[in-house]
Amino acid sequence: MTPLRLLSEDPSDRGSQRCRLGPGMMSALGLSLGSPLLVSVPGGSCLCTAWPRSDLAESFLQMDLKCVSPSLTSQVPTQVDVDPGQFTPVSCPKLKGVKITVVVQTADFKKQTPVRLVHEFVKDMLKGVHVHKGYVVNLEDFDTEIRYAVIESINPDDSNAGLITSKTGVEILGIQTARHYRNQLQGERAVQLGGLEEVSASLKEMLQLPLLYPSTLNSLGVSCPRGVLLVGPPGVGKTVLVHRVVWEVGASLVVVRGPEVVGSRPGESEEKLRAVFERARSAAEEGPCVLFLDELDSLCPRRTGSSAPENRLVAQLLTLMDGINQSDRFLIVGATNRPDSLDPALRRPGRFDREVIIGPPTLQQRKAILSVLCDRVPVCPSVNMAELAQTTTGYVGADLSALCREAAMHAIRENSKGSGEQVVGMKHFQEALKSVRPSCLRSSLGRTELTPVSWEQIGGLDEVKLKLRQSIEWPMRYPEAFLRLGLCRPRGVLLCGPPGCAKTTLVKAAATSSHCAFLSVSGADLYSPYVGDSEKALAQLFRQARACSPCLLFLDEIDTVIGSRSSSQTPNSVQTRLLSVLLNEMDGVGLKTLERRGTEKILLAEGAEENHPKEELDCQEVCNKDVMVVAATNRPDCLDSALLRPGRLDHIIYVPPPDQQARLAILKVCTQSMPVGADVCLEELATKTDLYSGADLENLCKEAALLALQDENMEASEIKHTHFLRSLSNMCPSLTAQQIHTYHTAHR
Amino acid sequence: MSKLAIPSLHQALRKSFTNLESNQKVWKSVLAECSPLMVSLGNLAEQSRALSNVQISNTPLRDFPDLEDRLRFKLSHATDVVLGKLNEKMSSLQSVKDSISNQASGVLQLYEQNADSLDMAAVTERSATTPSVVDMLEWLQDAERHYRQQLLRRKYLLQMLRADDLSSLESAPHRWKSLDSPDAEDRITDTLCKVSFFMESQ
Repeated sequence: MTPLRLLSEDPSDRGSQRCRLGPGMMSALGLSLGSPLLVSVPGGSCLCTAWPRSDLAESFLQMDLKCVSPSLTSQVPTQVDVDPGQFTPVSCPKLKGVKITVVVQTADFKKQTPVRLVHEFVKDMLKGVHVHKGYVVNLEDFDTEIRYAVIESINPDDSNAGLITSKTGVEILGIQTARHYRNQLQGERAVQLGGLEEVSASLKEMLQLPLLYPSTLNSLGVSCPRGVLLVGPPGVGKTVLVHRVVWEVGASLVVVRGPEVVGSRPGESEEKLRAVFERARSAAEEGPCVLFLDELDSLCPRRTGSSAPENRLVAQLLTLMDGINQSDRFLIVGATNRPDSLDPALRRPGRFDREVIIGPPTLQQRKAILSVLCDRVPVCPSVNMAELAQTTTGYVGADLSALCREAAMHAIRENSKGSGEQVVGMKHFQEALKSVRPSCLRSSLGRTELTPVSWEQIGGLDEVKLKLRQSIEWPMRYPEAFLRLGLCRPRGVLLCGPPGCAKTTLVKAAATSSHCAFLSVSGADLYSPYVGDSEKALAQLFRQARACSPCLLFLDEIDTVIGSRSSSQTPNSVQTRLLSVLLNEMDGVGLKTLERRGTEKILLAEGAEENHPKEELDCQEVCNKDVMVVAATNRPDCLDSALLRPGRLDHIIYVPPPDQQARLAILKVCTQSMPVGADVCLEELATKTDLYSGADLENLCKEAALLALQDENMEASEIKHTHFLRSLSNMCPSLTAQQIHTYHTAHR
Repeated sequence: MSKLAIPSLHQALRKSFTNLESNQKVWKSVLAECSPLMVSLGNLAEQSRALSNVQISNTPLRDFPDLEDRLRFKLSHATDVVLGKLNEKMSSLQSVKDSISNQASGVLQLYEQNADSLDMAAVTERSATTPSVVDMLEWLQDAERHYRQQLLRRKYLLQMLRADDLSSLESAPHRWKSLDSPDAEDRITDTLCKVSFFMESQ
């Protein structure tokens, strides 16, 4: 049989519960006039009575949505084709009794109308209607305040559907307002949330306690908390969290977005605010209710001056929050990402009793978020969520969802070229990682685009590489081993050595291999003509670095950025102030409360099963929440001694000028991409280039190549040994023996 | 078999439509009697409003003892009387609606008893003078639904009136009038015209 086109119903059929079919279709289905019929359409199903169309046309379907499944009350399907297989004739015996919940339009009506009267009307309205258990009967066609009747149960209950006659007893179990009912329905489509279990549990508790144990709380004489302030950077999921919790508890939600309340006329904003509180109060009478003030900082800024219009709004909010009685059982949740700009009067117990800080997600939380996000995406089984969580340091929930979207887009683009099954693989995520950057680091001054450098691209210096790996890579890769031996990871590493010996390149390689966020800062970023600005910038840099830990913070040429207190002539210069900031940030008393992330997890002594992958992640999370500072200098004597003590820059790695072996290795790396003649003897060059630094050697190779071009007029195909020798004779080493000697003595 | 069922159905339908026609007239006349009552209800509300606005102690009428209370009692008594009359009208409307409902459900029941013997072709068969059984059943049900809705809405309006809510009392006549749906009434008249040949063809 051909599918039927679903058309909207005829106005004259409104309220008749008829379902118009062609007579042919009715005979085919064995239906007579007025036979009850269950029609399933996308989004729900509808119980109606079959009736032939007046024009007797086939292949169309019109139905009156009198008795529908709850999901169909808000959205009406249009423009769909219904297969005849979706029709199920049902038997509708006359019912003895039916239990219903009545949904009315306004709370006023609910309050003022006696149940007896509602009962009388509803009974009249329901007469002659075919009902189905769990379905909703739409009573809007009577144009009264009574909107729906939800069929909770029917008697006899051996069949699911039945006909209400004048002899059917109607029992009203409860009366709800339409808003409350709709909220309940909407909740079924709530979003999923990952990684915020603790916060959501505490919010849920605050909502449910006064409802579940009112007498206990009364007998204890305590008032339950009524205000929660959610603080966190943008995109961590504050708003989503509130929606989710509200859904889980089944509470109704009244949302106030800051700018929506503000009106242009004097007094208008306050009036709107009062109306919102009134709405919450009436909603709270039906069940738990949350009044959600999103972007609270715009609604309630710090009061300044004497007569700014915002002051009145703030004062109104304060008085309204104070005016909540114990009997008004609703919870106020505020969300902001700029808690410092809130009025301090708001942040006291009695108004916002609790402040919940939601920081950027930690490794575990990121993993949870990713698995929630990828729940509906067909992800290739090879994608390792833990690995992905590790690479996405500093990403908040919003970034991660953008990442997943981007990855899915890549997969679609690839599939549109060739045909294949729609799965999102690891390579798509890798592609997406390039375009989606963490929003924590956006507009951060230390953010640098890093060209990946592998350890192999640095010739020689094996000892230094090993030390760097020990202090940077190992704590991130093998936290459990560190924990077992009671080691804690170093706070900072200082690379010192003569110029041109690959200190910066070494740091690049370390950053590449350790998969953590990398921030690099130079004097130019920090210095500013304003007093105090540089210090603030440095402190801000550390804050951002901590937000996306594990993080590598690289201070190149630290001797120029941060001076020494002993040697400088002016004791109060910018350098010394920066130094004090740096010392504090690296080894200060503690963090600001606003920077809290996740829950305070403390590893219990020597976990028994260290091989367990989950515990491994836990380990990583606990051990790597600090910022690793890497500094580089070629004048270690200029640094303040306080900076060099253990606990700050505790690993001082001397990067020596290359010895003969190392020079050979460097030359090999440098000439890798050059067509070198067969007669070139790199060993000989290595012996002849004593006191040459890595940079010098690179320059030497370049010069030789240029000489080759000069000699053979742009047609040179290879570089001969003579070119190297000639360039060698033209150059002199940049290091001196005396210089190296001073480094050696200083280092010892 | 169907040959037997159709005439009996036709007979029942004829009876129902005759009944509908007479009931429609009754309904109209009862409604016509209601509207002056509603207007007087509105008047009484207006008087009550005027009474609450005036300060009798500032007028020459202050010498009469308890004048305000007495007036108020009189007004509420008059309101009660009007509402009582309206209630009587409502019960006669109710009986009209019940009669139509009984007719409609009776015919449908008769159809259902014979449903097995009647195929779709038989019930959808139309001619120039005789509408199909389906159409006539539908019209009958539509009329029944219309009267049911009308009755419920009017009952709802009256039940929702409260003595302390003067503005709702004042607006009652207007709202009562707005409940009239001439379209639906016309449709019923149309229906009766459509079946007039059928009713005459005994």
